[in-house]
Amino acid sequence: MTTPTTAAAIEIRGLIKDFTVGLRGVKLRAVDGLSLRIPEGQVFGLLGPNGSGKSTTIKIILGLLEPTLGECRVFGVPSHQVDSRLNVGYLPEAPYFYRYLSGTELVRFYARICGVPSERREARVREVIEWVGLAAAASRRVGTYSKGMLQRIGLAQALVHDPRLIILDEPTAGVDPVGSAEISELILRLKAQGKTVLITSHLLAQIEDICDHVAILDHGRLILEGRVAELVGQKNRQALIVDTLPPAELEALRAWLAERGHALSVEQPRARLDQLFLSKVSRPGNAGGKEGGA
Amino acid sequence: MDLRLVRSGAVVAGVLALAGLMLRPLEAPAWRAMRAQQPALKLESIQGALGQGVTVGLLGGFRAIVADLFWISANAAWDQEDLPATQTLIKLVTAIDPRPLFFWINGANMIAYDMPHWRIRAAGGYDAVSAAEQNRFDREQAEVALKLLQEALAQHPEEASLYICKANIQLNRLKDTAAGAESYRMAAAQPNAPYFAGRIYGELLKRMGRKQEAYVWLKQFYLTLPKPGSAQATPWQIETAMADVVLERIHELERELKVPKEQAFKG
Amino acid sequence: MNAPTRTGVPFSFGRLLVVAQNTFLEAVRQKLFALLLLLAIGLGASAQLFREFNFGSSELKFIADFGFGAMIFFGSTLTIAATAQLFFSEIENRTALTILAKPIWRTEFIFGKFLGVFAVVGVFCALTTLLLAGLLFARESALMEAHPEAFEHGRIIHYADVFVAGGLQWLKFGVLAAFTLLVASYSNTNLFTVIMGFFVLVVCHLQYLARDAYAQVASVPLRLLVRLLGYVFPNFQVFNVADQVGMGAGLNHLMALRIGGYGLAYIAIIGVLAVYSFRNREI
Repeated sequence: MTTPTTAAAIEIRGLIKDFTVGLRGVKLRAVDGLSLRIPEGQVFGLLGPNGSGKSTTIKIILGLLEPTLGECRVFGVPSHQVDSRLNVGYLPEAPYFYRYLSGTELVRFYARICGVPSERREARVREVIEWVGLAAAASRRVGTYSKGMLQRIGLAQALVHDPRLIILDEPTAGVDPVGSAEISELILRLKAQGKTVLITSHLLAQIEDICDHVAILDHGRLILEGRVAELVGQKNRQALIVDTLPPAELEALRAWLAERGHALSVEQPRARLDQLFLSKVSRPGNAGGKEGGA
Repeated sequence: MDLRLVRSGAVVAGVLALAGLMLRPLEAPAWRAMRAQQPALKLESIQGALGQGVTVGLLGGFRAIVADLFWISANAAWDQEDLPATQTLIKLVTAIDPRPLFFWINGANMIAYDMPHWRIRAAGGYDAVSAAEQNRFDREQAEVALKLLQEALAQHPEEASLYICKANIQLNRLKDTAAGAESYRMAAAQPNAPYFAGRIYGELLKRMGRKQEAYVWLKQFYLTLPKPGSAQATPWQIETAMADVVLERIHELERELKVPKEQAFKG
Repeated sequence: MNAPTRTGVPFSFGRLLVVAQNTFLEAVRQKLFALLLLLAIGLGASAQLFREFNFGSSELKFIADFGFGAMIFFGSTLTIAATAQLFFSEIENRTALTILAKPIWRTEFIFGKFLGVFAVVGVFCALTTLLLAGLLFARESALMEAHPEAFEHGRIIHYADVFVAGGLQWLKFGVLAAFTLLVASYSNTNLFTVIMGFFVLVVCHLQYLARDAYAQVASVPLRLLVRLLGYVFPNFQVFNVADQVGMGAGLNHLMALRIGGYGLAYIAIIGVLAVYSFRNREI
């Protein structure tokens, strides 16, 4: 199922989605002429402020909403067709699963819905639960899970049928930095396996770390799209990091650069707060588990 | 208004109406049969006694249980010897659900047998009330009960037990043997009549001095009874038919009517 | 654009059953069945109450009436509440998103939900009917000893009819569940669905009045409206054959079959309408 190609996992053309609001039938445009191509094998970040049309776009990709105009295809299949979802795994924002089921029962339920053959089902359920690091809590009821555990069991259900495309809607919303980092690790491992991942998140630092491509939406419109490195890198500037220089040497260096027409700005380099946090706090268990399991 | 919602609502209503039309042939015979067993509710006659909730309950399929609850109330009123309440509740119960014979028969018996005692007690007791007054109470209550049974017979014209109840009130309360005999004759003529109805009719004819009529009736009646050894009848039927007792009565009448031996009934 | 990489997904009864099983399990784990236990205790207590009145053999009619009355009342409540709750828990908890984002037809989801609720109500009806039949049998046996003359033709209660009446009530609850699901597929809230469910219950029980009144309505538009109402809503009264149990003549089984067919046809039609409405619903 996982043959990496450069073909499009998702292709959206001229997508418009209007919602009718209130009894008077006022139209609200949530997505306005969006066109997007997400190649296979990439981690793609869909960014935008609240109400920018990210979730609506995801729901259209999943066939949960019908576009007012335009088209959306998943691996070449129109998204309103059931078979477009054969190769898609989805983790919604802040998911609440069936609280009365245990982790294993929950993943088994989704495996049966996805048609994972019965002879492979139990092994596959165990495999994904281990992969998301929930083996120890697999027999506990989902109702007793923490927010981070819910996200991870959500990821397990999204992966249970070994899809080629995984859609994660705010996968780290409400999760602490440790849990968030673990989810980031899992996403990078999915990428290593050649999966396509579409992710929306408010944590821009996280997006920057894990995404190859990003698209930014505002008021339903695509306002920016490209490779992360190209979008955030400043091509006409460079940073040189040196040990702390005595003031005299620093002045000499500034003068030397000035003679050649270059300006020097001096700043104290800072560690990123999330990295500092993660280096100081203990991380429970192993977020990964079996390599290449999913 | 969302046009799609309006369109979809119209489709749903249209399909449901079409389904109702198409399924009517499946439902109508069953509903007709049901209505035939379940007389229309005469709401106007009972509405005053009911609250709106009870009325909706009645119309909404809880008719039997509402009648049962009122019957329990009637019993509570009976326990208190509250004549107006008991009588009203009996009428209410039979108006709500006229199907169970139990309501009619027990209601009539309460009215005819118990209420005269209540009235006598309320008027000062048996010593204080004159025999004529006591008879008047008996007669008045019996007439109310017979009127109730007449309504019952309009609902269940082939029910022998109603005729028997009527006959017993005529005999025991009104002391009207002729009317009682006629009711027993009617009871004996019904399809589910117990065998004793025909026997008692013959006995009453004899008691009224109409021996020849009694003789003719019992001979005819005897021929319809299951006899010991009959393959078609159950032991219970044979036992309760008491064919030997009927034959003995026929022979007694033959002796009293001096029927010649050669013309005697052989059975 | 790329050529499709997969062929179509056929309708799967297996997937439908998975949804049904999960719905049933949810109802069981939400302790909806605790209600059944309460009902059983209530029934037992009410049967004891009738002994106080010395109704003789008619006591059986009272037990049957109250037993079926309880089944109709609690069953209707359970059907409407369970259907609305089990549907909206999926929407409100967003579990519907995770299910419908899988390769599953909405038809499978809706009929799965229906089947789960129908199974819950089926267990309710089966337990209540068994309990009622047991109570009737025990009491009838005791009364036969006390008043043999009242049972000269044998037992009064036709026990097969008790089960037929219970089965027809189950079908009626099935139609009610399908209707509630149809309302839920349009509605945005659990409360609205429950209110509409009870409205449908009352209207379906009273629709015969509209049919009766039709001929007496003078105004033509009103007459047409009354006639339409008589067709749009199924007749729930036709399922209430329980009144006949313990009243002499047994049920006409051909009639019971017709009523059964009527119920099943309505379940299928209303179920398809719920799918039609849910297909267009934006989750």
